[in-house]
Amino acid sequence: MSDSVSHSQPSNSTKQPFPLPVKPFTPEDEATLRESLKRCSPSTFEAAVQFRRTGNPEHMPAVVIGVVERFVEPDLRAKLKDADDDLRLIEDLGIDSLTMMEIVILVEEVLQLTINNDELRNLRTVGDVKLFIDCKIRGLPLPKPTKFLPIEHIGSVMPIQPPFLFLNEASVNSVSANGKYKITGQEFFLQGHFKDNPVMPASMMLEALGQLGVLYLLEGAPAEPGKVVGPNTIFFTGCEGVRAHRVCRPGDILSISIKPKRMKMPLATFTGAIRVGQEKAVIAEEITLTFGFVDAPVAPVPAAASTESAAPAPAAEGSAPAPSSGTN
Amino acid sequence: MPRIFITGLGFVTSIGNDAATVTGNLRNLRHGLELYPPFQKPDIPCKVVGTVKDFFTDSADQEDWTFPARYKIKRELLRSMAPNGLYAHCAMLQAIEDARLTEADVGNPQTGLYAASGGSPFLTHYHHERLLKVGVMRCSPLGIVSSIVGTLNFNLVAAFKIQGSSCGFSSACASTAHAIGYAYDDLVLGRQKRMFIVGAEDGNNDAILPFAGMRTLSLQGDPNVASRPFDRARDGFVGTGGGAVLVLETEDEVARRGVTPYCEVLGWGQASDGHNVAISHPEGAGLRLAMENALRATRVKPMDIDYVNAHATSTTIGDLSEVRALKAVFAENIARAAVSSTKALTGHGLSMAGAMESAFCALALRDGFIPGAAHLKEPDPACEGLNLPRTTLDTAPNVVLKNASGFGGANVSVLYKRA
Repeated sequence: MSDSVSHSQPSNSTKQPFPLPVKPFTPEDEATLRESLKRCSPSTFEAAVQFRRTGNPEHMPAVVIGVVERFVEPDLRAKLKDADDDLRLIEDLGIDSLTMMEIVILVEEVLQLTINNDELRNLRTVGDVKLFIDCKIRGLPLPKPTKFLPIEHIGSVMPIQPPFLFLNEASVNSVSANGKYKITGQEFFLQGHFKDNPVMPASMMLEALGQLGVLYLLEGAPAEPGKVVGPNTIFFTGCEGVRAHRVCRPGDILSISIKPKRMKMPLATFTGAIRVGQEKAVIAEEITLTFGFVDAPVAPVPAAASTESAAPAPAAEGSAPAPSSGTN
Repeated sequence: MPRIFITGLGFVTSIGNDAATVTGNLRNLRHGLELYPPFQKPDIPCKVVGTVKDFFTDSADQEDWTFPARYKIKRELLRSMAPNGLYAHCAMLQAIEDARLTEADVGNPQTGLYAASGGSPFLTHYHHERLLKVGVMRCSPLGIVSSIVGTLNFNLVAAFKIQGSSCGFSSACASTAHAIGYAYDDLVLGRQKRMFIVGAEDGNNDAILPFAGMRTLSLQGDPNVASRPFDRARDGFVGTGGGAVLVLETEDEVARRGVTPYCEVLGWGQASDGHNVAISHPEGAGLRLAMENALRATRVKPMDIDYVNAHATSTTIGDLSEVRALKAVFAENIARAAVSSTKALTGHGLSMAGAMESAFCALALRDGFIPGAAHLKEPDPACEGLNLPRTTLDTAPNVVLKNASGFGGANVSVLYKRA
């Protein structure tokens, strides 16, 4: 998330090195901070002190992760040590909504910011939390929530269709996309690749990464006002630094992830990785797609409101933001 | 009508944190009162508390608390507890083990839990102060459930996966006696097969000191005489905290599980003074009616009662009311039943009193003794005619009467019988 693609630094920081005005940090403040963080690691406290002294957002992830760690049961803390941003708060860390409130209140207190209830419900992963706090501190617009897309939704938006679609499920937010694909053994190309020895071709793994890039462009990428990425404008243009580490066979579940590196019309470049469990299968330093914008279709009444009968719902405050709400 | 039995007990009390220690102290009339360090200030005239030992709960941060290592409690559970919740949780664990209940015996739709504590004035104060200091939206999300009245049932029902009846009682010092009564009814009516009765109190500054305003606390500086129910020189009650748990079960459950009960719960009665918000009726009118109702419901005659575990808290007015009520109910049999108030040893457990002292009765019925009236030097002349044994009697009681009275003139009497 550090090399975020979509956010430019606000230009109002002429004197201040960092966008937040730094309030004076008194010894009393430090004592209060020490008390507030007394059950966090020393490095968490140190990062919080640095942040409060300088306003430098670089210190923020260490504070947030340190606070999360303090509220996670001790036997689950190991997961946080080398966590990637996809680590899920509820499923992986056992954090319930009350614990989430405890985390929020402590983060608010330590980082001196305010978080609203409706901003909270979209935070599902460690990455979501870090990105969210980063945006808050930099005063940037908040990221779109991670969308969890079931196969029906993927099928309805993708220009690529079975039997050539290598995504069973996916989640997309503005800084990454993750997908899963289970090699069934029924894929047509496995009949010949290889004779009596079905192995997922590395080229198909690259294809799967590219498909996730397509899904990102359609569902996660920030668009221009009135424009959307046209499904029929996206094509593969190149890849760099590709290495295959592991043979993948029927029964393996591919965990596919991409993160946008650069995005400037008409090119979008991603880093990509496929894992099977914890094992690296394929790494691609760069995968580049070309894309184009088309006019956004004139918005019909949102489909999500269809069950609400004729009453013109006020622009869905507090309701699920997108038709992805059925997946959690 | 099905018969109801007590099959398990749990204790965190000023006179012991397990049944064996409590029994020993009841038999030997060893009290649990001490000079309470937070009271040793010039502006606090009362000095003595029935202290809970081996627990440290003076911090508003539950993770600062310490308690005996045999209790393992996850942060996830601890974070929503008041001190009284911790005491009760530990007493619950004891009672479950004592009654030899499996997880399935506890978490099912036929098992319920009734509880009472005064909430946690200590944590309420802390959270309100924080609300004013750091702002409304930065209050602890668990501030409410850890501190309001009801905190006990919220926490225990969730922690122990109770699926049957659950609620809290708030008739002050009659609360857990009420809880026993209504649990008995649920069992007799076939609504439940098993009920936990839980009483607990913080027993700290914030829980006890507000009673000073009513001038009901003993100002004695000597722990050995501070709590002396029925004594001419009594000058108020001594507060205490802790937790007490009873397991009540139907006879079918007792037979099915093949356990030996402590005693039988014969039944109960209640009545109200209709007199004053805080002062007991001078003639003990409501308590007399409660005892008569209990006797009628159970078809027990006063002459059948061997021991009365009195409510008597060591206040001047309250003890007299109970003496008059007892005299009215027992009439010519007044000298037959031994009477004592074990609050002389423990101090007054407020909401917890009914449960804690009923648990004492269960121990006495099982082990065959009658706790003496500790610290009684010179009985109040009004006690003339009462049988107040100064030492513990080694005679096994057959039928025991337990009284409890609370603010507003709520009175409850429960009858227990040797199993």
